[in-house]
Amino acid sequence: MLKELKLTINGQPYELSIHPRTLLVEVLREQLGLTGTKRGCNEGACGACTVVMNGKSVKSCSVLALSANGAEITTVEGLAKGAELHPLQKAFLDYGAYQCGFCTAGMLMSCKGLLNMFPNPTPEQIRDGIDGNICRCTGYNSILRAVEAVSRGDYKETK
Amino acid sequence: MSEKYSVIGKNVHRVDGTEKVTGTAKYTFDIVLPNMLYGKILRSPYASAKIVSIDTSKAEKMDGVYAVVTAKDTIHKKQGIWRRFPELCDEEILCSTRVRYIGDPVAAVAAIDEYTAEEALNMIDVEYEPLPAVYSQLDAIKEDAPQVHDGVELNINVTRHIEWGDVDEAFKQCDVIREDHFVCSSQAHMCMETHCAAASYSYDGKLTVWASTQASYYTQVLLAGMLGMREGDIRVIKPPVGGGFGGKFELDSAQFCAALLSKKICRPVRIVLSREEEFTATKRRTPIVYTSRIGAKKDGTILAKEIRGITDGGAYTGMGATALYLTGFFSSFPYKYPNYRYDGYRAYTNTEPTSAMRGFGAPQAVFVGEQQIDLIAKDLGIDPIEIRRKNGMVPNYEVPGQAFIQSCGLHQCLDKIDNYIKERGKLPADHGIGIAAYGFMSGGIFNWFDTPYAFSSAIVKLSIDGKVDLFTGACDIGQGSDTTLSMITAEELGVKLSDIRIHAADTAICPADLGAWGSRETLMNGNACKMAAADAKRQIIEFAAAKMGVNIVHDLDIRDGWIYLADRPERRVSYYDIVREAIRGRDGETIIGRGHYTPHRKGMISPAYSFGVQAVEVEVDPETGKMKLINVVTAHESGTVVNPIGITGQLEGAIMMAGGYALCEDQPMDQGKILNPSLADYKVIRSLDMPQTQIIEVDTYEPEGPFGAKEAGEGLTNPTAGAIANAVRNAVGVTVNTLPITPEKIFRAIQEKKAKEAQAKKAK
Amino acid sequence: MIKDFEYFGPKTLNEALVLLDKYRDDYKIIAGGQSLIILLRQGLLQPENVIDIYGIKELDYIKSDGKKGLKIGALTTHREIEYSELMQGSFKVLSEMEHLLSTPQTRNRGTIGGNISHGDPAGDPAPVLMALGANVKLASITGERILNMEEFSVDYFETAMEHGEMLVEIELPAPPPHTGAAYTKFNIIASDMATVSVASCVTLAADDTCADVRIALGAAAPRPMRAKAAEAILKGKKITDALLKKAGQAASEEAEPVSDISASEEYRRELVKVLTARVTKEAMSRAKAG
Repeated sequence: MLKELKLTINGQPYELSIHPRTLLVEVLREQLGLTGTKRGCNEGACGACTVVMNGKSVKSCSVLALSANGAEITTVEGLAKGAELHPLQKAFLDYGAYQCGFCTAGMLMSCKGLLNMFPNPTPEQIRDGIDGNICRCTGYNSILRAVEAVSRGDYKETK
Repeated sequence: MSEKYSVIGKNVHRVDGTEKVTGTAKYTFDIVLPNMLYGKILRSPYASAKIVSIDTSKAEKMDGVYAVVTAKDTIHKKQGIWRRFPELCDEEILCSTRVRYIGDPVAAVAAIDEYTAEEALNMIDVEYEPLPAVYSQLDAIKEDAPQVHDGVELNINVTRHIEWGDVDEAFKQCDVIREDHFVCSSQAHMCMETHCAAASYSYDGKLTVWASTQASYYTQVLLAGMLGMREGDIRVIKPPVGGGFGGKFELDSAQFCAALLSKKICRPVRIVLSREEEFTATKRRTPIVYTSRIGAKKDGTILAKEIRGITDGGAYTGMGATALYLTGFFSSFPYKYPNYRYDGYRAYTNTEPTSAMRGFGAPQAVFVGEQQIDLIAKDLGIDPIEIRRKNGMVPNYEVPGQAFIQSCGLHQCLDKIDNYIKERGKLPADHGIGIAAYGFMSGGIFNWFDTPYAFSSAIVKLSIDGKVDLFTGACDIGQGSDTTLSMITAEELGVKLSDIRIHAADTAICPADLGAWGSRETLMNGNACKMAAADAKRQIIEFAAAKMGVNIVHDLDIRDGWIYLADRPERRVSYYDIVREAIRGRDGETIIGRGHYTPHRKGMISPAYSFGVQAVEVEVDPETGKMKLINVVTAHESGTVVNPIGITGQLEGAIMMAGGYALCEDQPMDQGKILNPSLADYKVIRSLDMPQTQIIEVDTYEPEGPFGAKEAGEGLTNPTAGAIANAVRNAVGVTVNTLPITPEKIFRAIQEKKAKEAQAKKAK
Repeated sequence: MIKDFEYFGPKTLNEALVLLDKYRDDYKIIAGGQSLIILLRQGLLQPENVIDIYGIKELDYIKSDGKKGLKIGALTTHREIEYSELMQGSFKVLSEMEHLLSTPQTRNRGTIGGNISHGDPAGDPAPVLMALGANVKLASITGERILNMEEFSVDYFETAMEHGEMLVEIELPAPPPHTGAAYTKFNIIASDMATVSVASCVTLAADDTCADVRIALGAAAPRPMRAKAAEAILKGKKITDALLKKAGQAASEEAEPVSDISASEEYRRELVKVLTARVTKEAMSRAKAG
């Protein structure tokens, strides 16, 4: 039986009809075509599907869509403001904090969730903050350097 | 104009950067085509069995199921990359009469959604007759072992022999000889994007495939062979790829089954392998058992090495024959062995096929070789750096009958690491530093495909506004070849990086390149791009010379968008203006540059080699055996550095992967069944486990490479396991010669050592 | 592939208890979903009805019990505990344990009640709660009952909860003066489940002897368990390194670990031996300082 789901994604309210078994990541990718968020496993272990939900980073493959009723979700598509990239995105570009890019959306959203909790995280907090995201390409240290630069204030966010 | 290069060596954003950080990059994983169906593959639950019958009728009748295929829908060919050696093309993909490992495909369905496709698989009745199976190479080569493939004696389908000098005589001259045994495990590529393909067969008989591939050219040609189609009627498009690491340049079940299903009903079909299929039913690193013997004189000169390797080949050959060869070849690196012998044997087993993975037999060889060098140094009382200095390769060294090494910065790397260790000084308790040295190929020459030699090609086309379209078959799988090749092209042509737009790996548009394996893209395709750019440059300069009316003795050059006299740079005109004039209003003639590269007279392995030395510091808890990676310092040389951020990224990524190989990545099996096919149970290094890393660039120049560049990315996976093993020995005095080096193994080794010491004390 | 189900999202505890009673024969409760959804996706569970209690705000709290104990609502997330200022004194170990638990995303969403209801013997909270002498409150439409952690932890992925019951609160009694607690977990990758884990809570008497000690082992038996033989060795005595070694030995003998792909049974016993001594020593020095 289909059930109604109302949620806000990247500032846009949506009303959908879904099967209860639907995962949040399926709503994002398949129903709404927001394919920036990826899936990398079937056991909630890799973090590629990370989004920010009500301000906190969560794995969208491990949230029933109906559990997100009334929630505010931010995906990678919602990081930039119009044509202006988010400081995290600029830093990732400058520090080469991605290679194949498949983990990048989830990685960025974990970093966003981290910054929501700690606006100026320490190196140790950053390391811990991305521990839920597997990257097979970069060895993580370039990502740490990028986020440290944001934490330091090297990138001013435009209002 | 005081800097040597304008583009090369600069910190740049990757050319695909913005699409990756904004989530707009569309991977094969994301592709949705109109009217597309979703495919799933039914796989054998048995390690070895006869297929008695397959009944697909119930599945075919299901609502929402549009096609079911089995081997009877194929042209009954066996495939493999070693096309010049048909006996090594042993894989049907869709099995007809026999299955040979748990996961071997037997059928595929295309349905309206993945749920329906999954249910349809449950509706297919396959009757199997289980057969005896064999699960390890040492069991497989026994006289009475079950045969994995008919007519292959002792299940050994490939042997390799490399020899020079007189090993037996040389051992007689040695003061110290030692023989050791090592067991190197398998490893999963574990790409973040699993294998996937979307295939669309049109009503007029043309097939388009979007594939997560490292070699769109191979996918095209292998698919043509397996489908009985003309190669030119197949177009393979490579979207951004979520990692390859050697696992994605062979024809895989997602590509083949999607194409076959689509061909049956002329509708697009996408197949995405699950993470479990990725772990169990693709290919994996070649596990190898070694016996190695080395002998040296008192002064540390190594006279002889004799090594035997037996690989666990799994159910099909894949690239396993190459891994067998390369492990023997790289077991001779990076030292000048005057006498050397390698014998390699590849044994079929009823397990997931073993093939190519980043390093391709070299990480295993270095785990063995670098431990033995440390051990014999200890026997002789010689410093580990000293013994490597004494025997290390040098520039312009010839590996007898095998390869010619031009640039080689090994000794400078040894010096840098020596300094680092001295500066580090006294280590805290239970810490140890271990080193490992390596040399790795920069462009595998061997092409098993259709010709004996590897090749690359590229085309540049100039637009009226001076923008350059670069067409190349090179495959960026995350290692950054799109950026590296764009940089090389921009540097050669004399324009900015932003003037280059790369079109890569679309087989209908781009000239063929063999793909991203054997560390070949920078050197081989880089040379092709450089030549193409030079060709276009020559044409522009010809036009410019005429326009500028310069005397023939003056050389013109192009840099930063300016065409100028080499000896009087203030006389210059804009490249953009010249190109506009050269192209506009001239019979419609475009400026096209063509380039290609194949190595000449460079032996059969590689035209160049990159070298390095890595020092790993570990801390071992002697009471539990737990090992922590503290710091990894790598001195390496890769010729001219094209993309510095790229190289740092490759090094740090290599440490994560090679460190994982040493520490925690493993695929334990029970009767051929992989016990941990999930990311919850297959352990990889994450950010909290990642050590500090430091890179020391040693400056070298490789004459064979574009602007002197050679590979940096695969060689860097070579040393870490060996260095870690040596570090553990230096920390707590035990040798672990099987991979992975788990805390439990370290703990047991320490217990054994204590027991031996207690016994020795008692004896006194 | 998940088999579809009926979904209910009660907003109050009462609503939830009514639903649990109505569907008592075939339901699964979902809180943060960090364990349950994986089981659903892998087809290991196929409930007809899923009752999503995550929206029951009244169960998300950490408060003092009026003395020096704590009451934690079942739907308190790991993150809330990790950064709660109420985790002081010997309760600091809860915050430390949460920091080691899995990954940030799991901690943001997952709840402590959901975690211990899952009954995974390798779970981090259970041995710590056991060492702290925690009680759990279960509610159903007919009333409430309170169990201690040992009574609650029955077997491998099995708790004492009956059909129609759900966990609503965890109660931590006020610790006596000079009490210290510590937790350690052994794994190869930091975010991994424990290969073996040990939690220890020591109360010192005025003469520095051990007035009370509770040692709980994780991933060393089908359920989180108290290492009572180890405790008996230490109780009433002055805790020395030699005594700790004996206690560790006892713990390793009374543990019931398995051999699996992560570790052999013998190695797990060795780890229990070493870690019991280490973490009890740490708890003792915290008790001294506190």
